[in-house]
Amino acid sequence: MAAPPTPDDPSLLIGGAYAVDLARPLPDAGGGVPAFGVADRRAQAGGALMAVQSLPGAPPRAMALNALAGWTDEGLLAPLAHGRARGPQGVPAWFVVSGAPPGPSLAGALRPWSESELLESVLQPAAMVLEELEKRRVTHRAIRLDNLFRVGPGASVVLGAAWSAPPAQHQPALFEPPYSAMCLPAGRGDGTIADDVYALGVVLVVLALGRLPMEGLDATAILRRKLALGSYAALVGEDRLPPVITDLARGMLAEDPEHRPPPALLADPGAARARRLAARPLRRGQRPLEVAGGPVWDARTLAHAIATEPAEGAGLLRSGMVDRWLRRSLGDPALAVRLEEAVRQRGFDGTTDEARADGLLTMRAVATLDPLAPLCWRGVALWPDGLGSALAAADAMGGTAGTLLAERLADLVGTEAAGYWGVMRPERADPTLVRVEARQRRGLMRQRGWSGGLPRLRYALNPLLPCSSPMLAGHLVARLQDLLPAMEAAAARPEARRERPVDREIAAFIIARYDQRFEGELDGLADAETSEQAMMIQLRLLAGLQSRLQSGPLPGLAGWLAEHAAPALAAWRNRSRREALESSLAEIAKAGQLMPMLTLLENAAARAADARGFQHACEAVQRIDAELAALAGGAEMRGEAARRIGHEAALGVAMMAVTVAAVAVVLS
Amino acid sequence: MSAGAAGRSSRGPGAAVWLQGLACGAAVTLATPSSVLAGLLLVPGIGAWLLEREPGRPSARVTLLCGAAAAAGPVVALWQAGQGVAGAVTAASDPAVLGGCWAAQAAGWLMAQLAPVLVRLALEGYAQASMLRLRAERARYEAEWGIPPMEGR
Repeated sequence: MAAPPTPDDPSLLIGGAYAVDLARPLPDAGGGVPAFGVADRRAQAGGALMAVQSLPGAPPRAMALNALAGWTDEGLLAPLAHGRARGPQGVPAWFVVSGAPPGPSLAGALRPWSESELLESVLQPAAMVLEELEKRRVTHRAIRLDNLFRVGPGASVVLGAAWSAPPAQHQPALFEPPYSAMCLPAGRGDGTIADDVYALGVVLVVLALGRLPMEGLDATAILRRKLALGSYAALVGEDRLPPVITDLARGMLAEDPEHRPPPALLADPGAARARRLAARPLRRGQRPLEVAGGPVWDARTLAHAIATEPAEGAGLLRSGMVDRWLRRSLGDPALAVRLEEAVRQRGFDGTTDEARADGLLTMRAVATLDPLAPLCWRGVALWPDGLGSALAAADAMGGTAGTLLAERLADLVGTEAAGYWGVMRPERADPTLVRVEARQRRGLMRQRGWSGGLPRLRYALNPLLPCSSPMLAGHLVARLQDLLPAMEAAAARPEARRERPVDREIAAFIIARYDQRFEGELDGLADAETSEQAMMIQLRLLAGLQSRLQSGPLPGLAGWLAEHAAPALAAWRNRSRREALESSLAEIAKAGQLMPMLTLLENAAARAADARGFQHACEAVQRIDAELAALAGGAEMRGEAARRIGHEAALGVAMMAVTVAAVAVVLS
Repeated sequence: MSAGAAGRSSRGPGAAVWLQGLACGAAVTLATPSSVLAGLLLVPGIGAWLLEREPGRPSARVTLLCGAAAAAGPVVALWQAGQGVAGAVTAASDPAVLGGCWAAQAAGWLMAQLAPVLVRLALEGYAQASMLRLRAERARYEAEWGIPPMEGR
């Protein structure tokens, strides 16, 4: 367990100035997300600040955090800094520091607000903030009662913080447009400022009514009611609102985002009220179509039914029942013709996978029946810009549900469904851009080796998503510069050191955060045929990181790598040289510098000399083996030679004896 | 090569036997006493010649040559004394002469038997020493370069 934080510990300061005070939780300040008080060490003045914690699997909004730097308008709790600090139970967490709410949220003590109060305290100040956000190409996506604050009666509302989680992840279905509410909470995407206008419209209606409409209904029932009746009718029902609010809410709650008034117009309620864009009323069928056990009366609810029950929907589409219902009951042959074209397209998709073909079919059918609907892929609905956070949520979810969701999302990316979806609704977004983006994502996911796949895509689409490698358990690594210190700390755990330091998650994290030059190296890591190759690639990667980031000494990580360097050392054939290297490696590892370790092991000239020496040794051993074999097999030959030589020697001695005798006889 | 060599080898021994028989016949005819004495003194060698089956009869040759070396003195003495067959028998009856001659032949035979064994021992010793040296050299390479040991060791 980590030690409790001390106020002077500089490592706990976010942005070098803000200390999270875990002893001072602010339960209502984060709009449903854990929030804590913050002390500004730099100012030494107890300003009203708070830190909103980012929960696992819900990375902060990096783009918004960057875009809102230097924000001064007091109508928004804009981010001041963000970073890592010790969270509850000593677990490190990511916090976004912003101003603390000036007062209680609007969720407490609901009562009907007057028209003037709504316009002056809520609509106009919020619209001005939204206008400024729109200029910065940022959306808020967390406008709801418990995330709107004000000092007291008569004061303007302040929009709460919305930066520590993916856009709209914590928005209830009541405050979200139906086409966002039907998505995965993590897959709603940044959306447009029109989605914030919708949420502000809901806030106006709720405050005007003084109560929550559709209270008691669950999210699915609220969504169905909005789709069936339209948002305004579903929210207001038979109730009466002030005339100005009625006119404004009708426009702000339009189903089509393009029909909602822009924030600049809302700042002038009179002008906004005068803006009327008539939406075509929904055509209702004479008889309902039964889908998923429920009646469907119009194209919008039919699209939603097919999106939520894709298997049954695909069957109805293929059997022609939907086509007949559109022509005979709904009386919309033009829509039937477009849908028929989408069904016919199934035969040209060229996929042999029936589930995938049906997925494309239902995705096209939903886009045809309701062009406002999000991308609906095999039971999963999301906006393409929410893919990154949806992938993060699937990874954090774990278990069967998480795996299934990740598979669905991988299938979506692999099929380039977003590209096909974009082509189906060219009036809503540039289909070329959508298609190019879908192709790029597919390319990243299909990239072979450790530099591709879902992990790479997940980290590429979530710039502040912490690395989820089990090697880094207990550490939060969202930025590359935090990686090596975390690995150094992980090196202290013996169980972590059983494996090599870089796993697939860390590899994907590095490549997404660092430099694509390492793609080749990481592909090699996946294909490494020997432990030596894998080890050298890891060492090269980490040494490059240490050098590039100018990290300090990493003796633990260096020792960890040195422990796994046995295969790399084993590649050196000469024992005495190997022992010398081992000894040198241990010495260098103690210093914690990875580049000298790499230089030592990658010494090309020495390795060539070692290889040459080994070659010579092999040749010498071959010669020795041949000589030994000849000696072992030459016993018979030696026996024959011994017999021959022995006889010749004996004969020679005998001849000499005869000669000596003859000479003796002659001389005598 | 094989036809010529076979022809020569089939004719060679026959001619040699014929020539040896002729020489023996001439010696017996021209120097009967000396031939008798030589025959008696060389009985072990002649027996070895007749009994040995090894090609070239190497042991018998050495035996006969050693016997000849020992018999040369008595035979020349008999020749110079001009004695007849009786003198030859008398000389052969001398235990010192006969024993010396036969002992020389026994020594020759023993030498012919022992010489190959001794040479074999020497060659094997040299081979073993070479193998030890080579194995030691190989072990050094194994230790230094991680070369696997020889199969079957």
